[in-house]
Amino acid sequence: MTQPLSDGDLTRRSFLERVATTGAQTFIFGGLFVTTALMRLPQDATPGTTPAKRKKRAPEVIYGFVVDTTKCIGCGSCVRACKAENNVPDGFCRTWVEEYTFYPNGEVVVNSPKGGENGFPDDAPDRNQPAEIGQLPSRGFFVPKLCNHCIDTPCIQVCPVGASYKTPEGVVLVDPQRCVGCGYCVQACPFGSRFLNPETNTADKCTWCYHRITKGLKPACVECCPAEARIFGNVNDPNSEISRILATNRVQVLKSYLGTNPRTRYIGLDSDVI
Amino acid sequence: MGHARHFVRLFGLVAIVVIAFLGARAQVVPKDFGTQGPFRASAIPEAAKREPRHLGSEACSDCHAKINDAWAKGKHHTPQCENCHGPGLLHVKVMSEDSVDAYPDQIKKNPKALRVTSGIQECEWCHLKTFERPSTLKSIKNVERHIIETGGKYTAASKCTDCHNPHTTVVK
Ligand code: HEC
Ligand code: HEC
Ligand code: HEC
Ligand code: HEC
Repeated sequence: MTQPLSDGDLTRRSFLERVATTGAQTFIFGGLFVTTALMRLPQDATPGTTPAKRKKRAPEVIYGFVVDTTKCIGCGSCVRACKAENNVPDGFCRTWVEEYTFYPNGEVVVNSPKGGENGFPDDAPDRNQPAEIGQLPSRGFFVPKLCNHCIDTPCIQVCPVGASYKTPEGVVLVDPQRCVGCGYCVQACPFGSRFLNPETNTADKCTWCYHRITKGLKPACVECCPAEARIFGNVNDPNSEISRILATNRVQVLKSYLGTNPRTRYIGLDSDVI
Repeated sequence: MGHARHFVRLFGLVAIVVIAFLGARAQVVPKDFGTQGPFRASAIPEAAKREPRHLGSEACSDCHAKINDAWAKGKHHTPQCENCHGPGLLHVKVMSEDSVDAYPDQIKKNPKALRVTSGIQECEWCHLKTFERPSTLKSIKNVERHIIETGGKYTAASKCTDCHNPHTTVVK
């Protein structure tokens, strides 16, 4: 390919070769240039943008969720309400309750039959049976789980078709029209909050009942909780209940070491909760 | 002149490929993709459109005023109507109309369009004492023992609603 470009030497073959390579190069690099130019889209409002831009687009409403594990009685009302409200197929949950039982020998048993849909059985050993003394659980509690609606979401990052997105209010949603059901997001979520819905063949997850909260209602699980263990609201409004609770409680998030910055926060979380 | 046509052909070819790419891209990428971020902007109003199925206990007060009053005044006003009876949207829709002919078979078989209550399972969800459950609400340790201790006769068909009014908890 080092021939000088002179009329005499240029054979048909080498000309075609050059046309082919130049064409391929132009196509690849030109195409890359054009696509990157076209795809330079406005990025998510929260991280990465300049402060001026962020301020301009700062929405009035940012939703937050607090789970008070000390109040949860493990009745499963939230699970049933969520399933009925969102038509969640059998065997899957958008929100679920985990039962943690600790034994003196250090054993931790985590139980969640059907996500807690039918409550929890009384399965602790009988305290009046001498044979079981010593194996009696030392403590236990319930931890309701749901999508954490992270600020730095791993699930949105891995979506190859732009089907996972965040609304201006901070709610992480799936666009069922664009989702191809590849399941990357299901694997990327460190909290197990997503699943592939066998009826629609798309990724499905907790939406904080987006269709309810945009109409001024509470999510179905919050509405039905008889123990006030779930608090939902606008964290940008200093007078909302959630702002008051966030101001007067010590809250924690699940798996903070992963740096996903969850918007769902927990009161009374134990270090053994995973 | 001579070789210029080679270049014309070359750039022509490249132009066709680029135009074809852009054309195909415009076809498959929705118009509002990217206007608010790397997603389809109209997905947000679409997600917000769905009708809520849980209506809240106030929605039941028009037609069930007596039960609603008793419930609101009694000791059992923390669990909502829909906590035990299931989401009320379809029930209210069906009850507001004269016939269920326009509804699918599922509703014709269950024309009240509510969860069927058993009168014992619902109570156990919240009131059965388990080791992990905090004692914030009054609970019973054992159904059989509770019924016998409170003067009832325990059978397999025993229900909590045999004695307790589910809406007020008052013992009959
Ligand atoms: C449009 C009026 C209306 C509204 C609103 C309404 N209901 Fe009803 N409901 C009825 C009628 C009519 C019946 C049938 C009574 C009968 O057959 O004796 C009924 C029956 C019931 C029954 C008895 C079902 C059975 O199997 O016997 C329950 C439980 C009930 N409603 C709960 C609710 C709840 C919970 C709500 C609130 C979400 C609600 N209703 C709202 C009209 C209404
Ligand atoms: C703790 C659970 C629970 C809650 C909360 C509850 N119900 Fe009920 N309800 C029941 C059960 C159980 C029955 C069946 C009673 C029976 O079999 O005797 C029933 C029966 C009914 C009936 C039909 C029978 C009758 O007594 O007329 C209506 C109507 C009804 N409920 C409406 C309501 C409304 C309205 C509310 C909210 C204000 C409500 N319920 C809240 C458990 C509940
Ligand atoms: C969704 C959870 C839930 C369900 C289901 C439920 N309850 Fe309750 N119940 C409560 C709560 C919460 C209280 C405490 C109310 C309060 O203090 O405001 C309570 C209180 C009671 C009390 C004690 C009232 C007192 O004297 O203080 C009785 C008795 C009772 N319920 C019986 C029943 C029966 C019978 C059923 C089934 C028909 C039932 N409950 C279903 C949540 C529930
Ligand atoms: C034989 C009738 C009877 C039946 C059946 C019955 N109860 Fe009771 N229950 C009572 C009586 C009587 C009391 C005491 C009422 C009081 O002290 O005010 C009571 C009290 C309670 C209390 C309050 C306990 C406390 O510490 O004050 C709860 C909770 C309760 N019942 C739940 C249930 C549940 C859940 C069921 C169904 C598994 C049920 N009951 C079935 C008669 C009954």
